[in-house]
Amino acid sequence: MEMGIVLKEISKSYDGLTVLKNLNLEINQGEFHVLLGPSGGGKTTTLSVMAGLTEQDSGSVSIGGRDVSNLSPDKRRIGFVFQDHALFPHLTVFDNVAYGLRVRRIKGHEITRKVEYYLSKVSIAKEKSKFPHQLSGGQKQRAALARALVIEPEILLMDEPMSSLDAMTKESVRDELKSIQQEIGVTTVYVTHDQNEAILLGDRVSVLNNGRVEQIESPSELFHHPKTEFVARFVGIKNILKVSPIRINNHEATVQINNDGLEHPVSIRVKKYPVFEKRKSIDLCIHPERIMLKREDETYAGDLNRIRGKIVKRTNNGNGFMAIVDIGGMTLHASISSDFKVHENVWVCFAPDAPHPLCGKKCREPEQQRKCFVTTQVDRLKTEGC
Amino acid sequence: MKSLSFDLAVSLIAGIFVCLIVLPMLALFTATSFGELINQFRSPLVLSAIAISLETSLIVVLLALCLGIPVAYLLAMKSFKGKEILDTLVDLPICMPPLVAGLALLILLGGNSKFGSMLRNCGIDLIFSKKGIIIAQLFVSIPFLIKSARNAFESINKNVINASLTLGASKFYTFKTILLPLARNGIYTGMIMTWARALGEFGATSMVAGCIPFKTETMTVAIYQNAMSGELAASTAVALLLLVFSFTLLLIFKSRVRGQAG
Repeated sequence: MEMGIVLKEISKSYDGLTVLKNLNLEINQGEFHVLLGPSGGGKTTTLSVMAGLTEQDSGSVSIGGRDVSNLSPDKRRIGFVFQDHALFPHLTVFDNVAYGLRVRRIKGHEITRKVEYYLSKVSIAKEKSKFPHQLSGGQKQRAALARALVIEPEILLMDEPMSSLDAMTKESVRDELKSIQQEIGVTTVYVTHDQNEAILLGDRVSVLNNGRVEQIESPSELFHHPKTEFVARFVGIKNILKVSPIRINNHEATVQINNDGLEHPVSIRVKKYPVFEKRKSIDLCIHPERIMLKREDETYAGDLNRIRGKIVKRTNNGNGFMAIVDIGGMTLHASISSDFKVHENVWVCFAPDAPHPLCGKKCREPEQQRKCFVTTQVDRLKTEGC
Repeated sequence: MKSLSFDLAVSLIAGIFVCLIVLPMLALFTATSFGELINQFRSPLVLSAIAISLETSLIVVLLALCLGIPVAYLLAMKSFKGKEILDTLVDLPICMPPLVAGLALLILLGGNSKFGSMLRNCGIDLIFSKKGIIIAQLFVSIPFLIKSARNAFESINKNVINASLTLGASKFYTFKTILLPLARNGIYTGMIMTWARALGEFGATSMVAGCIPFKTETMTVAIYQNAMSGELAASTAVALLLLVFSFTLLLIFKSRVRGQAG
């Protein structure tokens, strides 16, 4: 696969504060790559280094096999869509989009043809005579996209471009963006902290934390098989158990939960994974859909793990109810039916194969994979969004 | 009731302020008859002072643009060692008494200094000439342009500049097509302030250029000279003209500021 962008050992500090630490990233030609992470994780700085707007302290940047590490932004052949659109306020939409072409001294009739083509592509041809302050947020975003695309850049960089849009506008702009990117085939790097956007747009997603790439995967792999606790928590996995194996049998292991704050030691039986024999401390996750709550007097299947707990909060997440259960100093999230009440004492029950390690590898064979919270979320978003 | 008394007290104080400003100006209008004023405006000496003031102050505005905009750009857009010092130097002429500025320029440019001798050897004589007036006016008025243009540059969204760069524009092209048009109002305001300050400049100008009628006598110098020699009508005529200039420039400035705020 031909490389679109390669970042090698990029480091960047501001006033002694390290923002990027030896960051390595390879993005394929034509790929829609999402940089996902929390604020301050280094996403925007990474994008800025790719664009040449920020000079890296060390490391190299290649675009299309060309080393651009020391080139200024105007020589990198990039298109950039900014979070705040950054349209030129004194120019009309047409002149904004034509700007990059005029810089390149393209002839007038060619400018008109190209600008009108891209304006109609992003559905704002009618607004071409308006000034930016006369446009809605969605129209501004479309104009900024047309301005970046009209110069036919080698790579398209987008810095949280939809953060200021309302939900409906966001959805339509997102769909158009994805289809335009697929049609043009331009290598795209898209920065966001919104996991839904990452799922819907990305061919692959890089999760950035503290200036480093924690994991690079396709969206579904990332959400099903997070490698680290940070990635798991960031993609919405609530229940992470820090365990150490006590006994390991042929098919099962008994492990002790050691999460911070847990008042009494809790042992559970889990499916045996090879990682149990290699490490003494392992992070397991359980999706809320795999947890059943039973009332104290209710019977339960004998092979389930059960931990006594108390419901401390109940929320409606739009698709059903979620209970937060205190099991003695730590909480677990469980999907529930509506008839459980706050402050009710319950048994938290789950099968031994419900927890699985955070190792980034497939913890179950495809035929064994079950629909869980994250699977459902990815599928729902893919279906509803696209 | 208390609130009413307070409002009354504040209004009275404001009334004193209005008197402080308006009464001297009214006094100017009543100092001489309209016919005498018209006569004075026909006087070659008064006309010469007006011409010298307009000529020098307009040249100062042009020079301030050429020198001030790059300095304003540097202060607004760049981080560098000595930025604080440069910033302080910009403020200095505003705080410095004009007579001190004039004396400093006189010492630097006068024939007794090495620099002054060097200039004289090159055929450039700045003391007691229009060029001296221009240097003195520029010294005291350029900070107004720099400060106004700097504020205008600083108020431009940095991403707009970055957008231009990523679209392939060079820094100069970006400066020409994005920064200058967006900072336009601030620069205009700075030009107006600079012009007003240059027109009203007296201390530094009289020190550097003296008071030579038909050669270096500006409007402010003419006001002083005529007032001191008892020619109150001539002095008043020039003063009224300056007052009208100042008032008009202030009105333009205020409308510009309102425009920027809008």
